[in-house]
Amino acid sequence: MKRYLMLLVYVTLLFVSLHYFIDQRAEPITEDRNRLLPVKMKAIKTTDSTAEIQQVVLDANSEEDPIAIAGMQHSQGGHTEYPDGILLDMKPYNKILAFDAEEKTITVQSGATWRDIQDYINPYGLALKVSQSQNIFTIGGSLSVNAHGLDIRHGSLIDTVESLRLLDANGEILTLSPEQNTELFQAVVGGYGLFGIILDVTLRLTDDEMYEIHSEQLQYDDYSDYFNENVIADDSVKMHLARISLSPDSYLKEMYVINYQAMEPKGVPMDPQKLREETLIAVPKFFLGLARLNEQGKRTFWNTQKTYSASIDGKVISRNNVMRSDSEFMEYSHPENTEVLQEYFVPVKNFEAYIDDLRETLIDEEDFNLLNITIRYVEKNEKAVLSYAKEDMFSLVLLINQGTDAKSIEDTGRVVRNMIDVTLDYGGSYYLPYFGYPTKEQMAEAYPRTREFFDLKEEYDPSGRFMNIFYEEYKQ
Amino acid sequence: MNYKRFIVYQGTIGMASSMIFPFYILMLRNVGNSYSQFGWAYGLFALTAAICYPIIGKIADKAGDQLLLSIYSWGMALILLVFPLANEIWHVYILQILMGVLGAVQKNSEKTVLARHVVKETAGKEIGNYHIWTSIAAAAAIIGTGYLVDFFTISSIFYIASALFAWSGFSILKKDKTLSEFQA
Ligand SMILES: Cc1cc2nc3c(=O)[nH]c(=O)nc-3n(C[C@H](O)[C@H](O)[C@H](O)COP(=O)(O)OP(=O)(O)OC[C@H]3O[C@@H](n4cnc5c(N)ncnc54)[C@H](O)[C@@H]3O)c2cc1C
Repeated sequence: MKRYLMLLVYVTLLFVSLHYFIDQRAEPITEDRNRLLPVKMKAIKTTDSTAEIQQVVLDANSEEDPIAIAGMQHSQGGHTEYPDGILLDMKPYNKILAFDAEEKTITVQSGATWRDIQDYINPYGLALKVSQSQNIFTIGGSLSVNAHGLDIRHGSLIDTVESLRLLDANGEILTLSPEQNTELFQAVVGGYGLFGIILDVTLRLTDDEMYEIHSEQLQYDDYSDYFNENVIADDSVKMHLARISLSPDSYLKEMYVINYQAMEPKGVPMDPQKLREETLIAVPKFFLGLARLNEQGKRTFWNTQKTYSASIDGKVISRNNVMRSDSEFMEYSHPENTEVLQEYFVPVKNFEAYIDDLRETLIDEEDFNLLNITIRYVEKNEKAVLSYAKEDMFSLVLLINQGTDAKSIEDTGRVVRNMIDVTLDYGGSYYLPYFGYPTKEQMAEAYPRTREFFDLKEEYDPSGRFMNIFYEEYKQ
Repeated sequence: MNYKRFIVYQGTIGMASSMIFPFYILMLRNVGNSYSQFGWAYGLFALTAAICYPIIGKIADKAGDQLLLSIYSWGMALILLVFPLANEIWHVYILQILMGVLGAVQKNSEKTVLARHVVKETAGKEIGNYHIWTSIAAAAAIIGTGYLVDFFTISSIFYIASALFAWSGFSILKKDKTLSEFQA
């Protein structure tokens, strides 16, 4: 039977194809994810040589071209773009320059991603102290937003930086650290690429550890107490996250938490664990797809999330693997819609009242398609000039599906500004790497040192060599 | 291969190719980034097809339509297995050339089957009918996939389409009695 033979050949090749496909996914392909701000630039420059980067700045000085610095370009408010400017793509500038396993430090060029570092240090039983939940971002991009993640014990990203080298607007290379050029250091971390090019960074590392996962369900009005008593007070809990329901049955009420608890014996070096790769993205993508559709889909999505969180209770995972969460299932290509993030910080003690108010604000916004809210914790830290952690805060990351036309941008903007007003009422703040929906006034209120930040920018870069749309929109 | 099976077959492959078509463009955008590359990709497709028609035409009368249609189906099924792995523009160029050859095979065979089947007097009606069904299938596929892409990755759509092609190739190879009478 010829046709059965053909079928056999086909099925074999199907598996070969799937095998290579899954292998290949290990290398993430990125493109500008959010298509709300297409910008035409004059040129794109990219190099792996320090001298050439220096030359780009010198040339830009003589031509009076503005430079916008880009890492993976996951920021969503034109932070890496400027009309008719030069886009300096830092991705190829990604070498690991030095590593000391004893001292637990690593020096990397700023275009390297967290993933590059993890791949390098995992065999030595070391791990990052602070990074985003995912490992797809560059070090330069992460420092420039002063990123935070699941870790609750190592402070803020700025605390893990021993020193960094900055190429400034004059083309000179300066060393910055908490002791050296302190003022500039505190402006550059969380500085959105406005003070110069971060060339390389020396980061402090910590031990990779094994964690046991504990997940639990609770109601939103118990969350702050739960967190204070069972998470922050228990030194063995090293990482934490929570999610709150968007299902119509339990809207902004039901929650689940996931804690990562260090296993005994502590301090004993562990065998390096294999680093996890993202494989089955079709499944979460499918349920997220349902949530985009309608209320019923959101109900199913929430139930799946709860089931999943319960199913991982008791499992064991290494620190490095926690710090490389899946992200590809979120990738979304639709001709007219896009997905944007928002993030709000609210003091731990105000969480319950805040959520009640947020629910009020959103209750009538039927067209506002909110898909997911993930909650994490940031400890008070005011070292960076633009610091969002004015107190011990919960951070809420909102995933929003919206259209790319002017009307949708307007509608989403209105809801976002309302939510930020509520957040500010509770002494909160919001995160700056996302789309420019908030007003200048909201920024000034969320970040009390906004004025100082922009003054420092003018002082260190008076000719405005380093520009981006975020600066253009918010400078004051 | 009887005529009814032929229509089901054409419907299936029509669905499979309409499924991938819109996403094919998205995927080209990931791999290449200039309009000239787009132009080349499609130009190569049309050019290879043009070169192949004379040869395929000759083969068609000797080898039979059924064989050619099955070559088309299995060929497409296999090519679509390679698509999710393509990550450079030259990969796409090569795939486009192969698809150009297969596209010519399909277009030619579609017409020869129709030509051998329809009776001159009622040709208009019969071909009209034929187009109704195949177009409905294609429309359903395009609309359906618009939703699918919300749920699946572009790569999974290539795999689904590949499986559809494989199924069509499998079913067209089924022997049936009317074959000889049909070819005569
Ligand atoms: C899906 C998703 C999940 C996210 N999760 C988190 C999270 O868990 N926690 C969190 O804190 N944030 C999170 N973010 C936000 C993310 O941390 C920031 O957008 C970060 O800037 C992205 O890094 P990047 O390499 O893409 O930087 P880019 O977007 O390329 O750049 C960001 C800023 O840094 C500047 N910059 C980049 N490289 C350099 C350099 N070498 N020197 C000087 N300036 C530079 C740019 O000019 C720009 O202003 C998330 C974003 C997305 C899209």
